[in-house]
Amino acid sequence: MSSKRKETLLAVGFLSPVFILYTIFLFVPLVNTGFYSLTKWNGVTERVFIGIRNYQELFQNSDYWITFRNTIKLVVVTLLIQIPVGLLLAYLLYLKTKGAKLFRTILFLPVVIAPVAISLMFSLFYNSEIGVFNKILETIGLGRFQTNWLSNTRTLLYAVMAPQVWQYIGLYVTIFLGALQSVPEELVESAEIDGAGKVRTFFFVVLPQIANFTNICVILCVTGSLKAFEHSWIMTGGGPGVRSAYLGVYMYKTAFVNSDFGTGSAVTMTIVALSLVITGLLNGIGRFRERE
Amino acid sequence: MAAVLAAGLSGCGDAGAETQNAAQPDAAQTEATENDAQQEQTDEASKADSAGVSGEKVSVVLATNWGEGDAKYDYFYPLFEQFQEEHKDTLDITLQTYSTEDYKTKIKTQTASGDLPDVFTYWGGGMMKDMVDAGLLLNVDDYFAVSSKVSKEQFEDGAFEYYVSGDGNAYGIPLESTRGIFIANKALFEQYGLEYPKTYEDLVEVSEVFKANDIIPLAIGSNGGTPSEFFFSELYNQYEGAADEIKALAAGGSFHTENAVKVAEVIVDMIDQGMLPADTMANGGWTGSLQLYTDQKAAMTYTYPWNFEFISDEMQENSEIIPIPQLPGSTVDPSTMISGFTVYGFVINKQSFEDPAKQDAVLALCDFLASDELTQELTKSGMIPCKKVEVNVEEQKPIMRKTIEYAKDKALVQVHYTTMPSADAITMMDSSLDELFIKAITPEEFAQKVQAVLDKNNGS
Repeated sequence: MSSKRKETLLAVGFLSPVFILYTIFLFVPLVNTGFYSLTKWNGVTERVFIGIRNYQELFQNSDYWITFRNTIKLVVVTLLIQIPVGLLLAYLLYLKTKGAKLFRTILFLPVVIAPVAISLMFSLFYNSEIGVFNKILETIGLGRFQTNWLSNTRTLLYAVMAPQVWQYIGLYVTIFLGALQSVPEELVESAEIDGAGKVRTFFFVVLPQIANFTNICVILCVTGSLKAFEHSWIMTGGGPGVRSAYLGVYMYKTAFVNSDFGTGSAVTMTIVALSLVITGLLNGIGRFRERE
Repeated sequence: MAAVLAAGLSGCGDAGAETQNAAQPDAAQTEATENDAQQEQTDEASKADSAGVSGEKVSVVLATNWGEGDAKYDYFYPLFEQFQEEHKDTLDITLQTYSTEDYKTKIKTQTASGDLPDVFTYWGGGMMKDMVDAGLLLNVDDYFAVSSKVSKEQFEDGAFEYYVSGDGNAYGIPLESTRGIFIANKALFEQYGLEYPKTYEDLVEVSEVFKANDIIPLAIGSNGGTPSEFFFSELYNQYEGAADEIKALAAGGSFHTENAVKVAEVIVDMIDQGMLPADTMANGGWTGSLQLYTDQKAAMTYTYPWNFEFISDEMQENSEIIPIPQLPGSTVDPSTMISGFTVYGFVINKQSFEDPAKQDAVLALCDFLASDELTQELTKSGMIPCKKVEVNVEEQKPIMRKTIEYAKDKALVQVHYTTMPSADAITMMDSSLDELFIKAITPEEFAQKVQAVLDKNNGS
């Protein structure tokens, strides 16, 4: 057997388990979902093929666009908060802060707590009758910001976003910390010897070195936001109406609460399409920056 | 002293039926009692039968939302274990329990995957419609035709209506009826020298006093449509023609009525007057709303017997059931009516029942679920039985005894939940009420949103 043939067999041998698992648990369901999205189906009776009518109705449905906007808002908010704050905290830990191990543990702790527990906890915090959030605001002299967090249309969505954003910051801290620790120390030291301060060293030496990790964090952040579900579902059920629902919640309500599996599948396909577009876009930007 | 619970509550009678069904036990019951002796003789035979022809244990799946944490769990589970023990040689029963919302999803998913449990508790009306249309549920007449222990006549008149489909057949066995009650904290009213409000104007007045003392007048929020949906229906029934309008929904009637807008306007006024909790989402849901009342942070609330388990004995003693104040422009005296309807029961997987190897096992399980013994035990959780059974009123919770007394001379009225023709219409009503309660939509928009779903389903 030639060595090339051996290499090919080896590659196939290693790849096939993953390929089979992905085919069974990802591609087949995805293709099925794509087919269901072209049918009228309540999950019980026979599926009736209706072409793209589910998509047409979906794109004319204001609730769908509200949840679409909410999802995009979540993507933006998580990108603007989780990545910079995660990076900042990781850099502080990297600078050998006293008690760094303890802080690292504390920061990572929320990541391993079930989102359901976090969401229930925040629901109680927000409660304007019995919750502590408004009381804390009053105690620290910010009483004018007190509101009914989950019953105020202006704060509702952001109140639901907050626990999710907060919970996963620790994940990015851990990734960035690993990335920072992989930056050669000599590089940092020589920059400092050349007179670059901590800030300049960070922006012009450290940051370019961890660009690949940043790309990974951005993709994790975006995909995590696109499939967001638990916090919204537990805290408000996506409501009132769909005002705090993301696309994932809207899909669940449509398919499993209203028994409209056809439209629910169409929502799923739009989430997949959106994920692919955004991920492709980010990868493109990453490659462009590498070439630059 | 044993008293007949149904005498005070008239079981599951349909809307408008008078609560005067006190002549217990009736002929059907007597007949059933006479049958008991024969049934005992056939018990052993049926146990042997349920083992199947081969003598091997038959596996059956029972699903319910009466799991741990549910008010009924403590009363259901010991009897279920006893039943399991009695049939351990013949039946291999898998009990699947989930919390209510997860349970609904589980059943829908299992329906889609063709893997329904053999017997499962479920809701009727719009909730079971798809399963009935697909021929997945058994016409309960087929069960009664075979059962030697349970007969249709053992249930209250009208009890099956909630489970009757468009073809006129019933596809579920009703277990639980319910009554909506408006309760007031006696001590708080006495403390501030207030009378219970009889009219909306009275309600505004007492609310001012409570608000001045940092007490929420009405602990009624709206999260996922609870308890707002039933409260909306209760208010709705005060208006002329409303009861008929609710009934007509099942047959394609309109939701967007003058009365619907009127009631929604009253609710908005209640919000504007500060009668309801400021944070209606966070304080919505059955437990969320009740919590404010039981913590004495609110003076009044609206609740149902399935929540009685969560009210302390002291608070139950301290609670007075009062009529909902008469709304402006309404014509039906609220002190003459109470919302009451069949709310829950169990359904049988048609395929399992028609499987000769399984039928006896399914039959035994159904007989257990519809047994007098289990029904009587479940009443201790606050359940009002649909079956005509004798229940010792003295064993009931104080608030339940008060409910029985209060409901005695009241006419029963229905709620939208039981007559809405589809699950998505119910969902829309619930989510739109959540929006109305935070004033994100107007009363008119609320009525329009629900009507739009009905119109879509009707193809108009």
